[in-house]
Amino acid sequence: MATNVILARMGEVTLKGLNRGRFESQLMGNLRYRLRQFGKLNIFQSQSRIWIEAKEEGNPYFENDEAAKELMIAVTQVFGIVSVSLARKFEGDINDIDSNAKEYVASYLEQNPSFKTFKVECKRGNKSFPMNSPMICEEVGYFILENFKDLSVDVHNPDFVLNVEVRDYNYVYAGKMMAHRGLPVGTAGKGMLLLSGGIDSPVAGFMMASRGMPIDAVYFHSYPYTSDQAKQKVIDLAKIVSRFSGRMNLYIVDFTKIQLDMVKNSPHDMLTIVMRRVMLQIAQKLAQKTGSKCLITGESLGQVASQTLEAIAITNEVVDMPILRPLIGMDKEATVQISRDIGAFETSILPFEDCCTIFVAKHPKTHPKHTDIEAAEKNLDIEAMVKQGVEENLEVIEI
Amino acid sequence: MIYFDNSATTRPCDEVIKVLNEDLTGDRWGNPGSLHKLGITASGAYDKALGTCASVLSCDPGELILTSCGTESANTAISGFMHANPRAGKTIISTHTEHKCTLETLASLEKQGFTVKYVSVGKDGKPDLEMLKSMLDKDTGLLCFTHVNNETGAILPLDQIRELRKTLAPSAALYLDCVQSLGKLPIDLKKMGVDMASFSAHKIHGIKGVGLLYIRKGIRVSPLIIGGGQQNGMRSGTQSLPLADVMAASLTEASKHREDAYIEVSGINQYLKEELIKRGAVINSPDDALPFVLNVAFKNFQSETMLHCLEMYDIYISTVSACSSKSKKPSYVLESMGINRKVSSNSVRLSFSRYNTMDEAESFIKAIDEIYKFYEVNVR
Repeated sequence: MATNVILARMGEVTLKGLNRGRFESQLMGNLRYRLRQFGKLNIFQSQSRIWIEAKEEGNPYFENDEAAKELMIAVTQVFGIVSVSLARKFEGDINDIDSNAKEYVASYLEQNPSFKTFKVECKRGNKSFPMNSPMICEEVGYFILENFKDLSVDVHNPDFVLNVEVRDYNYVYAGKMMAHRGLPVGTAGKGMLLLSGGIDSPVAGFMMASRGMPIDAVYFHSYPYTSDQAKQKVIDLAKIVSRFSGRMNLYIVDFTKIQLDMVKNSPHDMLTIVMRRVMLQIAQKLAQKTGSKCLITGESLGQVASQTLEAIAITNEVVDMPILRPLIGMDKEATVQISRDIGAFETSILPFEDCCTIFVAKHPKTHPKHTDIEAAEKNLDIEAMVKQGVEENLEVIEI
Repeated sequence: MIYFDNSATTRPCDEVIKVLNEDLTGDRWGNPGSLHKLGITASGAYDKALGTCASVLSCDPGELILTSCGTESANTAISGFMHANPRAGKTIISTHTEHKCTLETLASLEKQGFTVKYVSVGKDGKPDLEMLKSMLDKDTGLLCFTHVNNETGAILPLDQIRELRKTLAPSAALYLDCVQSLGKLPIDLKKMGVDMASFSAHKIHGIKGVGLLYIRKGIRVSPLIIGGGQQNGMRSGTQSLPLADVMAASLTEASKHREDAYIEVSGINQYLKEELIKRGAVINSPDDALPFVLNVAFKNFQSETMLHCLEMYDIYISTVSACSSKSKKPSYVLESMGINRKVSSNSVRLSFSRYNTMDEAESFIKAIDEIYKFYEVNVR
């Protein structure tokens, strides 16, 4: 009897030297966590690849190809995985290989009706199998050609490769679903993401997580200027990022009073810069308290007034931690593309008031100088504001 | 709680809850189409409910169709009329300030080859009658207007429009969206001289899920929903006695309290207007608007911010009509009235019902004063 299994390939992890084991075990742990909702699974490594099988019979995700797709997508969201294939696993001789290959190809063509050419590749780990690899390729290729009259062989540039592997069991599979590559989350130190409701910050979080960084996030809520729907949108975005980055705490700072204080006591053309400086300090305090070693923002050079080099330099001054800005040199279109790929875009563009456009001056200073910021913060008790942000009404949501 | 969002929906009144409860728990759950005793009981009760609606609205029960909502009524009337009368004129005349359920139906008819002409509206929210005059001719098949605008309360000059039609396009039919005027202005379908009209129960303390469509005897309309031929083939699907009873009960109550409510709400409206103007607000509702709706722009507060500020005081209002408030654009109704963007992005709608009181209006003003004290932000 044949069963479905899922085959996942590792990427950069396999290039690691002595610490490869640590990266691999982190990856296996992350996979188990990400796949926890798919029933009891056997997840193991063999031949530098990862195999995923149902532990018990009747697991719906292994019953048919459509349901398997959902599980495979979840696998592609685990950083460190390069690609995923759905394979058929069975016992038996060359006749069983033929019949399973035929069944697999029939189902595969149903999903890819335009495919017209193929080739067969074989690996034979089980050396006691009476045919060698070229013989198996020849036999299976012939059998497929006989049974699918529209298909022809093209060994140089086929539409698909039918893989046959003969080991303790036999496997056939074709095609790959590409994953997000990267390094397993947890192999780098933790970072604190400044998450707004826009397009950029979730992408920034995704990108840092792809380098192995676990993420916590902080959101500055200014009810009644920003609505509870805006807050819900940020929670939804955090959930989307956490599909890739794993467990996450979302810290929601009550920012209303702090912002009102700024509006009353500092010049309006400097408001955004002052606000960002305070936000970064609050984020740093939270990061220090909760074990994050850096801050992450979605800033992109020149995108808005507060993201000019001068403004970034001035906001940078107030924190000691590294501030990682993975989007700093990226074009907006490229960011939007990643946002779409990770499934965040539709949520990001929901029309709820984001970090309060109400508090943005018509002509904010784009090239602030030191003297400007000194004057702007002269009448503010920044330390008290930071303390208030970290301590008063702080909400923590486990994503 | 102070609920000033009654144009979005209203809370079901006691009489409605009572009749609904009786219908759902009693022995009247049969299919009104069944031939046995249960069916006859249900159909008798159903006819009685529809008869009540007809007598409140001054029409014949056979002229009323029970629908699922105002939107279904509008769709059926407008689309159904144009499709059922191939020999009528191919032009529809309307305004840009109609509810979306009318505008979208008109847009869809335009794609199907009909012509739609839009009369401009003035600052008073009323259609330009001179322009209407120039548009009316023998190719006019249908006139679509709203009795009371849902965002501003502007009242349609129905008598003048009816007169114009009589002289310039006597064969054109007249459809009137009465969703917001029901229970607030006198509705006497015989006297009003309209050919089709739509109504909804949840705007008059009924529940969501039931509306009415009036089609005057002799007017041909093709149905939107076809099937078992219920409601004279005009709207197939098993008739719901509970919903018919809700419609009847909410109509009866609304009509019973209409005059008192009008007086009370006029007082509330007048008081709020005066107090708000003192505080620098701009009133967008025309002076002669229905007092149940007050569209107002607050200085230095964007619509949504004011909505959330009031929410903190357990006061509920609306930015624009709830159906379209998820789209971020400023109100198309205010835009059509020539109100500038700055004012319209600060505009909110207060809408009242017979359950609102002067005390609530006073608390509202107190809340506004506190909100100005704590939350006014004017960033230049």
